[in-house]
Amino acid sequence: MLLDYDHMGWLKTALLGFTALVAAFLLLPVVFIVLLSFGSSRWLAFPPPGWTLNWYQELFADPSWLEAALTSARIAALTAILAVLIGLLASFALVRGEFRGREILRGLLLTPMVLPVVVFAIAIYAFFLRLGLGGTTIGFVVAHTVLALPFAIIPIATALEGFDKSIEDAAIVCGASPLQAKLRITLPSIRIGIFSAAIFSFLASWDEVVVAIFMASPTLQTLPVKIWGSLRADLSPVIAAASSLLVGLTLALMIVAALLRRKFKT
Amino acid sequence: MSVETEQSIATKRMPAGLGGLLPALTLIGLFFVVPVLALLLRSVTDPAPGLQNYTALLGDGTYMRVFFNTFLVAAVVTIVTVLVAFPVAWMLAIMPPALASVMFGIIILSMWTNLLTRTYAWMVLLQRTGVINRALMATGIIDQPLPLINNLTGVTIGMVYIMLPFMILPLVGTLRAIDPMTLRAAALCGASPFQAFRRILLPLSLPGVAAGGLMVFVMSLGYFVTPALLGGTSNMMLAEMIAQLIQSLLNWGLGSAAAFILLIVTMALYALQLRLVGARRATGGI
Repeated sequence: MLLDYDHMGWLKTALLGFTALVAAFLLLPVVFIVLLSFGSSRWLAFPPPGWTLNWYQELFADPSWLEAALTSARIAALTAILAVLIGLLASFALVRGEFRGREILRGLLLTPMVLPVVVFAIAIYAFFLRLGLGGTTIGFVVAHTVLALPFAIIPIATALEGFDKSIEDAAIVCGASPLQAKLRITLPSIRIGIFSAAIFSFLASWDEVVVAIFMASPTLQTLPVKIWGSLRADLSPVIAAASSLLVGLTLALMIVAALLRRKFKT
Repeated sequence: MSVETEQSIATKRMPAGLGGLLPALTLIGLFFVVPVLALLLRSVTDPAPGLQNYTALLGDGTYMRVFFNTFLVAAVVTIVTVLVAFPVAWMLAIMPPALASVMFGIIILSMWTNLLTRTYAWMVLLQRTGVINRALMATGIIDQPLPLINNLTGVTIGMVYIMLPFMILPLVGTLRAIDPMTLRAAALCGASPFQAFRRILLPLSLPGVAAGGLMVFVMSLGYFVTPALLGGTSNMMLAEMIAQLIQSLLNWGLGSAAAFILLIVTMALYALQLRLVGARRATGGI
């Protein structure tokens, strides 16, 4: 009866207890960092001797944090737009096209997800040094789009595979042009895949550290590069404040994703 | 009849849809394949043509220790991750939906939280005067702070934390696909719960465990951020060594040779995974 939740006896208690421990382990750093950001100890004593908003004030007083966040947001937004557009076109070809070598091409487009990022990072770093694109917004966006493309293709192609093509054909039979049918029938039907693709490719760029460390210049820093640099210098509570804002952003994204899913399902 | 004609016309108009792949292939070809190949070329041409970079890497005790370390950490992380993830995935597969969605929410929150944020939290938690050491000392379990950071313990804790969602989520799918009736049949035939686990549940979930474990192992091999921040200088891992060779020492020849070795190992294991689970499953369903 190992897969029958209601008839597992003591085993269920043990496994549930273990699952609760793992849940606590997964939550621990996230909750801890938020509490720490309000603690008054500069040396990160915990539990803190008192509560304060100092670290948030320090964070907002330093314009380089805000600038790094805006740079990250700009690069991630451009990456998401490019990855979704390119991924959408590629997904149609991969799901519907019938040509030789389709599986190989699919594998090739998804390789950036598998290859260790550090290998790609030094490769694109050397390449962009030669092209003069190192430390530029374009360079960042191109490199991040390569990394984000698999995260755009996978949800869109999955949604497209679940879409019944005969509905699109019916629209064409009823007089719509193939393009009209795609824009007005197919795209709205796979919108949840497209939204997932946008969120995932945005996050792929927003959280990306390794390529960014190599690509960053003194004048162009993304948020992860800024955090990385601060971390190597000291464990200042200002990083906890910045981190807590990022946790807040993650929660907001999760809520948006959940709401969208609910809205699309009904 | 007319539908079929229209369909074939539509198919003909878009010659097999290859055009749609053009932007993606241009991007990947120009900014992924070409730079990676150029890097590999550099490993046999910089500073002079030949294999001297590879002989230098493989003949040197310091570099070999990094390779050994990398495989050791990846193996330990994989084993711990599998052992922790399995019971959780098992419960998630059969829990009432309301309870499961709470757990899924926690997993997603941890997974989507910025990687550096999570690593920073572990740096603070695990330090000598950190919460974990203080709690253990206060309860009297230890009387000296444990060295939890700047060593393999720290790297393992931090990496298992990051890898757990990648193991749990696919395993839930595998476990949900198992028909509970097979286990009921085993129980009816007199199997003890332990026998049923060892002879039915475990073998049936093994493909999922192998696929997930291999993915965690491959990801751990090339991981950069967490080992660099939680590991000490005495037990560096491969990705950090590659970054240092290039960024601090400007030794492009050695760095790209080490990168090539990492690439070969990763791709070989990836190919193995594809054979184990099929291309569709390995890449998340497409």
